[in-house]
Amino acid sequence: MNAEKTYEEKLAEFESRVARGEKVEPGDWMPEDYRKTLIRMIGQHAHSEIVGQLPEGKWIPFAPGFRRKLTLIAKVQDEAGHGQLLYRAAETLGKSREEMLEELLAGKAKYANVFNYPTPTWADVGVIGWLVDTAAVVNQTMLSQTSYGPYARAMKRICYEESFHIKQGYDAVAVLAKGTPEQRAMAQDAINRWWYPTLMMSGPPDTLSTHSQQSLKWRIKTKTNEQVRQEYVDLIAPQIRALGLSVPDNDCHVDEKTKHWHYTQPDWDELKRVVNGDGPCNKERLGVRKQVHEDGRWVREALAARQRRKEAVA
Amino acid sequence: MSNTLALQSLLLAMADDELMLGHRDGEWTGYAPILEEDIAFSNVAQDELGHSLVWYTLHQHLTGKDPDAMAFERAWNEFTCCRFVTYPKGDFAYAVVRQYLFDEAEQVRLNAFADSTYLPIKEASVKILREEAYHLMHSQGLVERLGDATEESHRRMQTAVDAAFPQALGMFEKLDGEDELIAAGIFPGNRDLQAEWLKRVVPVLNGATLAVPVKDPNGSCVIHASPDLGGRKKNHNERLKQLVDDLQAVYRIAPGAKW
Amino acid sequence: MSDTQWDAYEVFHQKKKGDPHIHVGAVHAPDPQMALQMARDQFARRLQCVSLWVVNSRHITETDYQDERFFAQWIDKSYRDPKAFGAPEKEEP
Repeated sequence: MNAEKTYEEKLAEFESRVARGEKVEPGDWMPEDYRKTLIRMIGQHAHSEIVGQLPEGKWIPFAPGFRRKLTLIAKVQDEAGHGQLLYRAAETLGKSREEMLEELLAGKAKYANVFNYPTPTWADVGVIGWLVDTAAVVNQTMLSQTSYGPYARAMKRICYEESFHIKQGYDAVAVLAKGTPEQRAMAQDAINRWWYPTLMMSGPPDTLSTHSQQSLKWRIKTKTNEQVRQEYVDLIAPQIRALGLSVPDNDCHVDEKTKHWHYTQPDWDELKRVVNGDGPCNKERLGVRKQVHEDGRWVREALAARQRRKEAVA
Repeated sequence: MSNTLALQSLLLAMADDELMLGHRDGEWTGYAPILEEDIAFSNVAQDELGHSLVWYTLHQHLTGKDPDAMAFERAWNEFTCCRFVTYPKGDFAYAVVRQYLFDEAEQVRLNAFADSTYLPIKEASVKILREEAYHLMHSQGLVERLGDATEESHRRMQTAVDAAFPQALGMFEKLDGEDELIAAGIFPGNRDLQAEWLKRVVPVLNGATLAVPVKDPNGSCVIHASPDLGGRKKNHNERLKQLVDDLQAVYRIAPGAKW
Repeated sequence: MSDTQWDAYEVFHQKKKGDPHIHVGAVHAPDPQMALQMARDQFARRLQCVSLWVVNSRHITETDYQDERFFAQWIDKSYRDPKAFGAPEKEEP
């Protein structure tokens, strides 16, 4: 029985299983660091989805035309859905959704930095759907291979839906790029503002990240941050240029030898500042999330109380 | 057909109602009390907007006017929605009560259209009714649960009903040309629809321990509330102007352009 | 009263009649009827679906991955395997 094996034996067995590409399920023995890392990662991912509803959701009342309005509501709805799937995956590791939400609202949990930036124009909505979600899908496709079963399953479903979001976003921006001078300028301005934040999404270069080595070994992630970033640029730069828009990086060009796009690294000091709460919208968005949570408390309590009463009588 | 103008006003009233309510419902995406309800309410918002598109499209068959143009280019004082659907989203109790009262009105209206002599309305109604069954299950389920769950929920729900009930009566304000439509068998008229609607909502609200300003002496309903009328006559105020300004803000940046 | 995200209900989804119900995840809900609605909005808004089951997660009883003995088989039960027997012979025409 497992209880008779030493910690080292159990760890060795775990690591060789994972190296063989086998999955880890909620009831499996796992090193405490593996559990903690996953709770942190999945939790952050979930928080990103629900904070991420706000920069785009803000534009639902203003969406131009039936199709855009319907599509945007559906997209932001999907983000709630993704948050829901991810919180559940984290719950399988022993942390409740209540706890995770409390941490987020107390400012104790992190979420994707990209959602700390403002969305001042309609074009931002399309650019987020196109650029942010492309970067997210590149990362998430990699995560679909993650060793933890519930996370891998959630990622597959999420990737499927994100692929629509990319198309919807691209479509909204393409129309602007081919539209009036005003619409075109709106699109270019949004791209200028979102280029570097989306480059930062896959995380700092792995030499700077403490978590990366362990995560690779345990197949929590299967590619380095830089590999993912390169994939993203290779995908998105030609798409931007095909619309007659430009990448706000004079050094962004194809390397003739490697066939990959060369790009300027984002400012990683800025990332640190923004991640630690000093971004343009951190306080505002967490504030909104907190208010929403408070406003809804009476509903959650009421429906729970009613069910408890019914069960007590039954 | 001599009924055409009357028919247009019927279709437009319904389209405008669904547009405004869908717009208000959409304000809950990202703001609902719990994730699962966020997903649920977003579904309702999409459906309402989808339904408004159906009615604007039938209106287009009679007038040639494009649905996007009707919704996103018309002046605020040209809309014929009832005032009920223009009020801000409020707290969750108001949202649930408003949705419930509107869903019941749709039920009675769409069921009546099943016998309409105007085929496009009859066909559209059959399709929409199928989707509406789920809406009603959702909103009625919440009304019944929140009505008496806790002291606080009861208090909020009662406040919501007190506000929403007179507003809801505005859904049944008489339309221009309504008598012709009744005579032609296109729909039974708002007075009948309201009577049907009362028969449904009063027992449900009362069953949820919520008081309604309706008495039933000798079998005929007497309403002790001032209905919030005027919407069908385009008698709106700053509130709708603000809503329409928001709705059309981006569209107006490049009118006539593709978005 | 303490704040709550409600109980979790496991969701099983049947694509079309004749298919088995497949586990697709869980929703948080205040009661079983609302769990069905929430499951529909979360797991069937794009997928074709004709039936949903929801079960409060606390009613699921599960085996323990760490007790391998539950599924271990040592005695030869090849008599249960169709390959252990020959197929019927057929008369030559």
